[in-house]
Amino acid sequence: LRRVLPEDVRDAIEGDLHELYVRRRSGSGTTRAQLWYWWATLSLAARFAQSRLAETLSHVLGRDAVPSALDFTLGVRMLRKYPGLALVGGMGMAVATALGAGSFEFFNSYLYPDLPLHEGERVVSIINWDVRRGTDDPHILRDFAVWRDEAKSLADVGAFRTVRRNLIDSTGLSGLVSVAEMSAAGFRVAQVPPYRGRALVDADERQNAPAVIVISHDVWTERFNGDPDIIGRTVRLGRVAHTVVGVMPKGFAFPVNHRYWVPLRADTAAYPAGDGPALKAFARLAPGVTRGNAQAELTLIAERRAEARRETHARFVPRVVNYGDILFETAGNGSMIVVIQTVLPMLLVLVCLNVAMLVYARTVVRTGEIAVRTALGATRDRIVMQLFTEALVLSLLAASVGLGLVAVALRFVNGVLDEGGVPFWVSPGLSPSTVAYALALALLGAIVVGVVPALRATRGQLRTALSSLSGGSKPQLGRTWTAMIVTQVAVAVCTLPPAMLMGRHWVSQALTRPGFPADEYLSADLRLEREDNGVVAAADAQVELRKTMRASQSALVEGLEADPRVAGVTFGAGIPGYHPHELVGFDNSPLVRGARVARIGTDYFKVLGVKLVAGRAFRSIDSALPTARPVIVDRTFVDQVGLGSDIIGRRIRFPLWSNGRWVDPAQIESREIVGVVEDFPAGNIGVDDPGDTRATLYEPIAPGELQTVTLFVHVRGTAATFATRLLAIAAAADPTLQLRDVQSVERAYALERRWMEMATLALVLVVGSVLLLSAAGMYAMMSFIVSQRRREIGVRAALGGGARHILTSVLARAALQLGIGVLAGLVLVVVVDRLAIGGELLSRTGLIVIPVTALFMIAVGMIAAAGPARYGLRIQPTEALRSE
Amino acid sequence: VSHHGLGEFEQMVLLAIVHLGGESYAVPIVDEIERRTGRSVSRAAVYVTLRRLEEKRLLSSWLGDSTPERGGKARRHVKLAAEGARALREARQMADRMWHGVSAAMLRTR
Repeated sequence: LRRVLPEDVRDAIEGDLHELYVRRRSGSGTTRAQLWYWWATLSLAARFAQSRLAETLSHVLGRDAVPSALDFTLGVRMLRKYPGLALVGGMGMAVATALGAGSFEFFNSYLYPDLPLHEGERVVSIINWDVRRGTDDPHILRDFAVWRDEAKSLADVGAFRTVRRNLIDSTGLSGLVSVAEMSAAGFRVAQVPPYRGRALVDADERQNAPAVIVISHDVWTERFNGDPDIIGRTVRLGRVAHTVVGVMPKGFAFPVNHRYWVPLRADTAAYPAGDGPALKAFARLAPGVTRGNAQAELTLIAERRAEARRETHARFVPRVVNYGDILFETAGNGSMIVVIQTVLPMLLVLVCLNVAMLVYARTVVRTGEIAVRTALGATRDRIVMQLFTEALVLSLLAASVGLGLVAVALRFVNGVLDEGGVPFWVSPGLSPSTVAYALALALLGAIVVGVVPALRATRGQLRTALSSLSGGSKPQLGRTWTAMIVTQVAVAVCTLPPAMLMGRHWVSQALTRPGFPADEYLSADLRLEREDNGVVAAADAQVELRKTMRASQSALVEGLEADPRVAGVTFGAGIPGYHPHELVGFDNSPLVRGARVARIGTDYFKVLGVKLVAGRAFRSIDSALPTARPVIVDRTFVDQVGLGSDIIGRRIRFPLWSNGRWVDPAQIESREIVGVVEDFPAGNIGVDDPGDTRATLYEPIAPGELQTVTLFVHVRGTAATFATRLLAIAAAADPTLQLRDVQSVERAYALERRWMEMATLALVLVVGSVLLLSAAGMYAMMSFIVSQRRREIGVRAALGGGARHILTSVLARAALQLGIGVLAGLVLVVVVDRLAIGGELLSRTGLIVIPVTALFMIAVGMIAAAGPARYGLRIQPTEALRSE
Repeated sequence: VSHHGLGEFEQMVLLAIVHLGGESYAVPIVDEIERRTGRSVSRAAVYVTLRRLEEKRLLSSWLGDSTPERGGKARRHVKLAAEGARALREARQMADRMWHGVSAAMLRTR
């Protein structure tokens, strides 16, 4: 209120409000009086802000250019009077605003955050940019040490990586947690003192120092029930016991969303340059130093190192970037973000131009009303302002719907992005700057939708406009609109089929059921916790790891099979349906086919209930073979190859395409197809792209062979209820065995489907609004053009022209325009198909979708043209002639 | 709207001040309008109107003493100016002239 009230009345109004508040408090209680006070303050602030804005506008633009309350009322009335236009235009603008405001919110809150830390703007992220590969290199252990030791412009430099560990407290297994292995400098960069105990210190980073851990306030209250003696208690992360040395205050989650911190103990000397664990570095600028100064110093340091060791250092350039970049695998995407931020508002402008055409058609219909207003003394500015305000009402409505869509999408993204929570600097809900941005977009939209048609419609002379009231000549639109119709049809024909193809595929995926009782199977990703620095390069270390993994996996399977609720246990790489695609070649044949390659345990088919159709199933001995293990294929694979039952015994080689190049088949071992199974799971589950095959090829793997496998437990009853038991059995088998995503297979599919559903919803909204706008815009233009010729049609009829002949000539012209549009659209489709989609569109599905879209647009156009033409024919010849 | 630019709401505010003895402040003015018209009035609209009327020199205003029940803030008193009284008289005359000769029967719609 203080900000918007004029100074001369501020104190008096505050006094009045206080006086009324005191009066109400004694009458109806404190709470109601307080509510009233806030409401009164807000409404006063809004009213004065509006009156201030109006004053400013009238100073800048002149008195006529200030929208009045009546203009807004008229705007609302217009929405009611033309509900079709309001719905179609509003929906298009809402979707476009949602895309613009959504990306703005995302980039602003995630990438360009105001860090809620002391002098947060001085905290930056540092990356090592690989000039040759055009990406940042995470193996920065050595560089980090150099930055830390040499850069004077950085007060503190820290690094971290996120690891997952089984946290085990005195009660047994508590589950898998994300832990920040962070240099002690992190706590100095954040400048947040611990709530209890101490933060990590440099001495903790020494290789032989005792293992310590700092926990978050949440963890302290939730997992340790706010134990007052928490400092000094031990918790185990995997096999290693850590002493709790500190509790951080509520809300602290630096560097991203962390709740556990252990010291980063990476021995720089143990790794060659450019090797070591993948780390992220951050720093706080030294007092008085700008980001530019820091960048200059780091560049200088890098150049000096590059001179000394050209072969390893020349291609890396350190970059001081926004702290938000720490979130992403590839940092420094600034230019791409600028492009997105420019393109999305352009999309809004495009949509608005479409709506503007509709509004223009409506404005021209209102020429008479405008003329009368002008005759009564309204200036052009006044009329333009009125039309602008009408458009503003529509665009504000669209912006609020758009913001609603953004809020829903944000909730979804934040929910999915990380189970550990969103980054500490992201506050939930829409930020005020996003709301302001959406309002700015609404203003931009209103200018395009309202002012452009208004200027065009009010350009003519008053006399012309008035004469139109009595049936004189009307504004001409000519070739511009013909071009617009052609563009409209072409764009629809070109953009809708690919979108429909994608949408159809996604919908079919979302509706597909797996064809087996997925809710009876519990799945979990299984991996062995590696408590080293994550680099196991030596061959013997790999062998050792496999041996341990095999032993742990077997112990787990044994433990599970001993449980009476378990009907069977097996494993594979990924959940059924979601497997990598490979190119497969046949021996003695030029045949090459794509297939999903599923790597599975030998009892996979038995446990998951997949029926064998021909040949034999896998045997345990198959996975024990060091090379040339047999494979089994599914029905779709057989159908695609077209060999029928002859496929058993055929030999194949894969992958023919690896690391972006063809592999010589002679270099790959050949495998024998020993069996055929039914398609599993049913439908298109796991086929993300309509162009991908669903043919599947199975190869056997032995326990321990993969460092991460998916475990499948067939449970008697509902699988989800067995999750806790599974965790307990796993902890008993091996405390370092990590189980991630413990959920029923049904739920795993449901999560995949959720993305599909969101994507489908977004696609339907975007495509639906494009199609509606396109069709409505074309309808308006077409019927408008033909209605311009209504009198001509009447005159021709009066002069003896046959009705059919006249109608044909009018429709022929419309058909020509539509035909050119369809043709242009088809050319675009072919180009898009060749360049981007790879021929999929012009296959069977596309051949149905494209003509349907073209026919739809033609039908809309012809109906739009036929209506006014028939009306023209009904005009009495005498009336038509008299008007001429 | 009269040639002084007196709108309907402005007239109401000025008349409320007249009823309150030609001098008052915002809180009783709002109460007076609500009591006489039976309609609820936007407080913000009254403040904005008072300010506008003062700019048109139809009112004059001054700050009173501050009191504890007002949180230590002073009242802003307003007084009907001579110009304001004339504007009201003209508005009344104009309305009277328009009403002259209009009977109840003439207002009955068919």
